[in-house]
Amino acid sequence: MSNTKSQQRNQPSKTEILQGTLDLMVLQTLTAMGPQHGYAIAARLEQVSGGAIRLNMGTLYPGLMRLEQRGLVRAEWRVTDTSRRARFYSITASGRRRLETEKADWERMVSIMHALFQPQE
Amino acid sequence: MLREWLHRLWGSLRRNARERDMEEELRRHLEFAAEHEGSERAARVAYGGVTQAMESIRDQRGLPWIDNLVFDLRYGLRTLRTNPGFNALAVSILALGIGANTAVFSVVNAVLIRPLSYNDPGRIVSLTNPHTSGEDSSPLDVKFVSVPNFQDWHDQSSSFEAMAFYYSWENPVSTGATAEYARVAKVSPEFFRVFAVAPAIGRFFSTEEMKPNSNGALMIGYSYWQNHFGGDPGVLGKTIRRYSAAQKIVGVLPPGFGFPDETDLWFPDNDDSPSFHNRDAQNHLVVGRLKPGASIERARTEMTAIAQRLQRQYPLTNKNRTVAVTRIQDQMVGDVRSTLYLLLAAVGVVLLISCANTATLLLGRATVRAREIVIRAALGAGPRRIMRQLLTESALLALLGGAAGLLLAYGGSRALIALAPADLPRLAEIGIDGRVLAFTLGLSILTSVLFGIAPAVCASQVELNDALKQTRSVIGGMVRIRGALVVGEIALAVALLSVSGLLIKSFIALNSVAMGFRPEHVLVMRATGPGSIRDTNIFFKDVVAQIRAVPGVLAAGATMTLPGHIGSSGYYFLDHLPAHHDNLAPDAANAVVTPGTFAALGIPLKAGRDFNDGDTVGNPRVAIVNEALVRKSGSGADVIGRTIFCGFDSEAPMTIVGIVGDVRENGPARDPAPECYMPNRQHFYNNTSLSVVVRTAGDPKALEATVRRLAHDRSSDVPVTFTTLESDVYQSFAAPRFRTVLFTLFAGLAVCLAMAGVYGVMAYAVGQRSGEIGIRMALGASAGSVVRLVLRQGLVLASIGLALGLAAAFSGTRLVRAMLFQVKPNDPSVYFLVAALLCVVALLASYVPAKRASRVDPLEALRQE
Repeated sequence: MSNTKSQQRNQPSKTEILQGTLDLMVLQTLTAMGPQHGYAIAARLEQVSGGAIRLNMGTLYPGLMRLEQRGLVRAEWRVTDTSRRARFYSITASGRRRLETEKADWERMVSIMHALFQPQE
Repeated sequence: MLREWLHRLWGSLRRNARERDMEEELRRHLEFAAEHEGSERAARVAYGGVTQAMESIRDQRGLPWIDNLVFDLRYGLRTLRTNPGFNALAVSILALGIGANTAVFSVVNAVLIRPLSYNDPGRIVSLTNPHTSGEDSSPLDVKFVSVPNFQDWHDQSSSFEAMAFYYSWENPVSTGATAEYARVAKVSPEFFRVFAVAPAIGRFFSTEEMKPNSNGALMIGYSYWQNHFGGDPGVLGKTIRRYSAAQKIVGVLPPGFGFPDETDLWFPDNDDSPSFHNRDAQNHLVVGRLKPGASIERARTEMTAIAQRLQRQYPLTNKNRTVAVTRIQDQMVGDVRSTLYLLLAAVGVVLLISCANTATLLLGRATVRAREIVIRAALGAGPRRIMRQLLTESALLALLGGAAGLLLAYGGSRALIALAPADLPRLAEIGIDGRVLAFTLGLSILTSVLFGIAPAVCASQVELNDALKQTRSVIGGMVRIRGALVVGEIALAVALLSVSGLLIKSFIALNSVAMGFRPEHVLVMRATGPGSIRDTNIFFKDVVAQIRAVPGVLAAGATMTLPGHIGSSGYYFLDHLPAHHDNLAPDAANAVVTPGTFAALGIPLKAGRDFNDGDTVGNPRVAIVNEALVRKSGSGADVIGRTIFCGFDSEAPMTIVGIVGDVRENGPARDPAPECYMPNRQHFYNNTSLSVVVRTAGDPKALEATVRRLAHDRSSDVPVTFTTLESDVYQSFAAPRFRTVLFTLFAGLAVCLAMAGVYGVMAYAVGQRSGEIGIRMALGASAGSVVRLVLRQGLVLASIGLALGLAAAFSGTRLVRAMLFQVKPNDPSVYFLVAALLCVVALLASYVPAKRASRVDPLEALRQE
């Protein structure tokens, strides 16, 4: 038990970073790769980030559920390539629109931050 | 946003299906992960367990607070069931606190908050004419207004939509053969417009009926219509006999309208006697209705200006006289307001104490439940979640307490009504309505937070590591909080007790004031003489004489007003009447009595003689004065034989034939004022209704039937009502008794609760320290020294509470200064008694735990450790 606690204390940053951007990451992954089940999404993010982002189920699934509740993704049970049942998530039209605006916001924020970090001339 | 909520609501409703679905999805996740990570265990380390993930998902899935609430409620109800004894105790403590508050609030609501049931009551005001100098004017002089002054106020002001004068009293009327008392009011033309009331049936008075010396007409009240005419619409045109004149009923007022004083019959004031044109004859009360949009401040400014004009114009009658404009609701409430606020404060304190008490109980429970809470925390419930759970349980307790309190309040408000002074305004309206229910609900919720927050915070802060290893350190904090709570309880109880001590002492002082008459063993029969002045005189003379002859009767007489009441007051002059005198002349109460009245009332005759049967209209006019009048006029016993002039019914000179002792007509708290008594057979207009007073050897009520028969035998048409002088006096003490009894009741309740709190904490502390006590005893401590140890601890708590409470009382009792009589707010004897009482209570409450501590078996205690 004490382990859980100290872990939470030492690495709060991971979940906090994800809080705002998780939606964006999931939507982008689904756009790029088409319908995916939860584990595939997590594996993809882990791979892209070079292992820096490892999504706990307790973070990923509430996030997916939130997206589903807002109508940004759709979920259905399907059979995988390896003939196993899994719940596949795909992006909806309004999810695509949301991704575009979020992306634009994100890029604007990045360029602002970038300009801010530039040494003054 | 709405969409998400709908989804969540759906999630809340279809829990089980979705639950299974989610669990399968998570298991698949782990299966896929296991393939990559190599083992299931590795997968779980990487992605977390299903159970924890499910907990987070549940928060997102449904509306978590609904889910949790349902869960918490179920869990709470289960906890309640498993521990009925504890919960019954907590609920009854809360019920006492909430019930007392609800009961007092139901009175406050009816008297102070709920608007009067008139149309737009905020615009209805009363107009009175106090003296600017203030002090010396009698209450009657302030309230009553003369018709010429009223007329000027009415004609010169522009802030009022309507302004009217009225006067009301009890009067025998007959709808058939026999006469009975009814409450009647004579009113001026605009009276009903002031209240913007419309007749239920019929019409108001016509201009013709309001003209001086016309036949007049009657409006009757709704309940009078129901009770005497069975609600028959054919009542219009029927007549009611008032004195000898029959008057026609022209309309019925709507239900609920009874201004003033639950009046039964209204008739136009079409009097045209000389007093109507006398600016000095203050015989009427005045009400007005502000124009829409006219503020009361504007009305005040305008009326002050008019009053100043009248002062200049009529210096003799209006010198120093101004006009006060008061909202009718404020005027009705008067000084009851401060008493009610005082009581509300007292029950508020009682509620705080019961909250503290429940909190200590819950803290005690929390230590017992520490393991359960630790396990829940270990299973992933966060501190906020645990707090919510505990607060939900508190809310359940409080709501149960509130429901039980409501039942208590239902009975309690009836008891309050019974105890309340009969002249408490709007007494009949007291009850449980929507606002009272809302108050109770709100109070219960507030209460649950008040008593629940400390235990909840305390329990939710449990450090998992420490807690699982040993529960002691958790408990240590709780003991300190409980100690603090008990100190707070004692402090509050001490503060209440101090105030109640002051009120009791003041009440005793009030009761031991010599009123100037002896109220015990006096039967009172109010009667109104039949028909003419001659018949009335004979009636009272004969009846009083016959009563005197009844065995067991010591003395009998009859008086216009009972002692303790003033029926009339006015200026007086000795020796000669000045040609011009202003309204600042000395003032005396006027009373009309029959011979023998002083003996019957127990008012001592100090010098001279009582009236006798020779003091009739044909003989020289005589008067008897009281000692206060003699003192005030600077004379002595030589005042007998001198002449007095009183502004009563006529200014004819009267010879003073006797001096009697003073009666405190304005209540025990005010010094006796000058008073002038006159014989009934020399003053016609004021002797039609008299109170026959009969001093008896035994129980006065036992003679009621005999006296009633005598009166009826003499004249069957005379309406009579009976009371005793004692119960009449009892009513005049009702207001201080009301607040003293209630406040003491609440203080007693507070002390009992605080005592229970001390007991609980000490018993608990002894239980916790049994190991230490065992060691002490093993090392040779005697049972006596252990008892002293525990008692000392109890006394320490009590003295801290006592010190805080006395300090609070000391600064707070100033607020009740106005309610105290002959007692200073810092009366040391009261505080000393309170401190002594509290120490005894604390010792008593600690004694049982101390005794138990001394019986600790050292071996047993050490083994447990």
